[in-house]
Amino acid sequence: MTDTLRIGDRDFDSRLLVGTGKYSNSSVMLESIKASKSQLATVALRRFNPDLPSDDLYGPLSKIEGMTIMPNTSGAMTAKEALRVALLGRELSGSNFVKLEIHPNPHHLMPDPIETYEGAKLLIKEGFFVLPYMPADPVLAKRLEEIGCAAVMPLGAAIGSGKGLSTSGMLKIIIRESNIPVIVDAGLRSPAEACAAMELGCDAVLVNSALAAAEDPVAMGRAFAKAVEAGREARLAGIMRTSNHAVATSPLTSFLTEEK
Amino acid sequence: MSQIYPQWHDPASFVEINRRATSADVQAALSSDSPGLWELAVLLSEAADSQLETMAATAKKLTTSHFGRTISLYTPLYVSNYCSGGCTYCGFNSDVEQVRHRLSEKELDNEIKALKDRGFEDILLLTGERTKEAGFQYLLDCVRITAKRFHNISVESFSMTEDEYAQLVEAGCTGITVYQETYEPVYYKQVHPRGSKRDYGFRLEAPSRALKAGMRTVGLGALLGLSEPIAELLCLFQHITYLRKHYWKGGISVSFPRIRQEGIDFKVRYDVDEKFLAKIIFAFRICLPDVPLVLSTRERYQFRDGMAGLGVTRMSISSKTTVGGYDSDTEETEGQFCIQDTRDFDAFVQTLKNKGLEPVMKNWDIVFQDK
Amino acid sequence: MEFTVNGNPYQHNGEGTILSLLESMGVDPAKVAIVVNDAIIKRETLDSVELANGDQIEIITFAGGG
Repeated sequence: MTDTLRIGDRDFDSRLLVGTGKYSNSSVMLESIKASKSQLATVALRRFNPDLPSDDLYGPLSKIEGMTIMPNTSGAMTAKEALRVALLGRELSGSNFVKLEIHPNPHHLMPDPIETYEGAKLLIKEGFFVLPYMPADPVLAKRLEEIGCAAVMPLGAAIGSGKGLSTSGMLKIIIRESNIPVIVDAGLRSPAEACAAMELGCDAVLVNSALAAAEDPVAMGRAFAKAVEAGREARLAGIMRTSNHAVATSPLTSFLTEEK
Repeated sequence: MSQIYPQWHDPASFVEINRRATSADVQAALSSDSPGLWELAVLLSEAADSQLETMAATAKKLTTSHFGRTISLYTPLYVSNYCSGGCTYCGFNSDVEQVRHRLSEKELDNEIKALKDRGFEDILLLTGERTKEAGFQYLLDCVRITAKRFHNISVESFSMTEDEYAQLVEAGCTGITVYQETYEPVYYKQVHPRGSKRDYGFRLEAPSRALKAGMRTVGLGALLGLSEPIAELLCLFQHITYLRKHYWKGGISVSFPRIRQEGIDFKVRYDVDEKFLAKIIFAFRICLPDVPLVLSTRERYQFRDGMAGLGVTRMSISSKTTVGGYDSDTEETEGQFCIQDTRDFDAFVQTLKNKGLEPVMKNWDIVFQDK
Repeated sequence: MEFTVNGNPYQHNGEGTILSLLESMGVDPAKVAIVVNDAIIKRETLDSVELANGDQIEIITFAGGG
């Protein structure tokens, strides 16, 4: 039995998604992504500058085997703006994948649940596979699933805060109740945390800062790849035995039936 | 007095904390989960001096975590040095005899073109206090013209009404910078002897009015050296906290200008040397991990290079404080203050790259936002 | 022909199609998305959509982001 991750109309072997922002230069970014074995990378949109050809991201990224490029709607503050950015992104990427992110405050970058919900409705109508970045709210997660999102991306902690899986309590509820992939995004700072997220039951994780800001992003890419695989295997291996109460391997109370 | 100031803590009690801080306090501040005014007061103390290296390392870690390995670059353009104000500490003040000039539409066009040709995408337009030559209408026109070529436009100018800020936003202005200069009300009046800038409360509430009017970002700061620095910085911190509470969508950035003078006689009351300034920047980074901190070309290049990535996330570049100056046809004037870092664009960018930092010329998010 | 491309005035001496404009700018059409006067242009029509003097053109590409 293979353990591929299905999102929208594609199957992915890797459960590690990556962002492409905040790197010190693009060749380090590409090497880091290759080392991570990720098959889904998010990108932002901006105006092309012919004087800076080295800034071409699309060419080198799309050459990575098996890679799906997913535009994000960063910059949009409303559902309508997000639709516009998504349509532009689709024109470029040729795929229907979009990471819906609407964060009105430029400091903590927390997602706007209301604009995100409205935006998801608009995008789904246009045929997009919507992966919404959202607060770790179990009710919002179900609402987004119900209107047809391809996955949900609850945050582990605020972007760039490096506070790890601080929303793990909420994540457990979301995972328990979700019928679509749950992909933890934001806040993961170490491979151990990515592993923990997978053991918790997440279907995938997205990391950006943890790679981009590492001293050696390429080595960190390799580490994250291994951590995500390990966490997933542990989850699958443990699934048969997880329980809220202890189960002894031999019955403890067998002596009770023997009274004569 | 304004409406917001009385809500703040009187800095005096925290200045006392600062004076009495021990190295144990500094340790506690450094390991705090949610640093606030107490932590800032302690990290600015003399006791923190022996921990400067640790503070730098912490500042670096936080900066990288929240901002990645990027530095945002912008260029200042003085569109006019006409001024009605009499700020006793400023080189442009109306008492100082000098050539006064404002950019004509054609000159502004040329300056903008020159800047765009050099690769700039983020511009700060500056003027003096309101004059008939360079009042609100002139500023609004400058913003409109600039908005044809730039998406990131900030303005550092006289305090305006909410309606005026709304008009600037409509014209394409995305940020304003307004330094309180000093948060000390009595001294404030002394150094601003005349004109509308004399109104302490009106100035203090300018960032609030701008954010209410829909301005995307506001830049705050105190002119270091004017008043007792610890008290100033504590007030500045409270100002930032206040704005974040009341204008949750607004972006805030902070600068740390030290008084520099050119051509005027002004006795600077307090000395803020480079080591102190470094400590200030580290302390602010630790207490405000997600707020952009700005360093201008007032500072010498070795300091700017050293601080890039250690808390500083935004810098001005290739600055001129003369009117215009990027296009050789503009009439020459004297500068507002002395520029210490005169390196050209390419040299500076290379230095940043050598430090493992990627210069970012533009905030692209704004391109996709409806006005 | 004169357009505004990415906010800057641009003089184009060639055919009035977007494809011709991109070629003259040395831009690979496969790497960009085009907006003309706020309308997104479908990739298949890059060589057929005719530009007019004064058109506002945006050339969009990908950049690093989370």
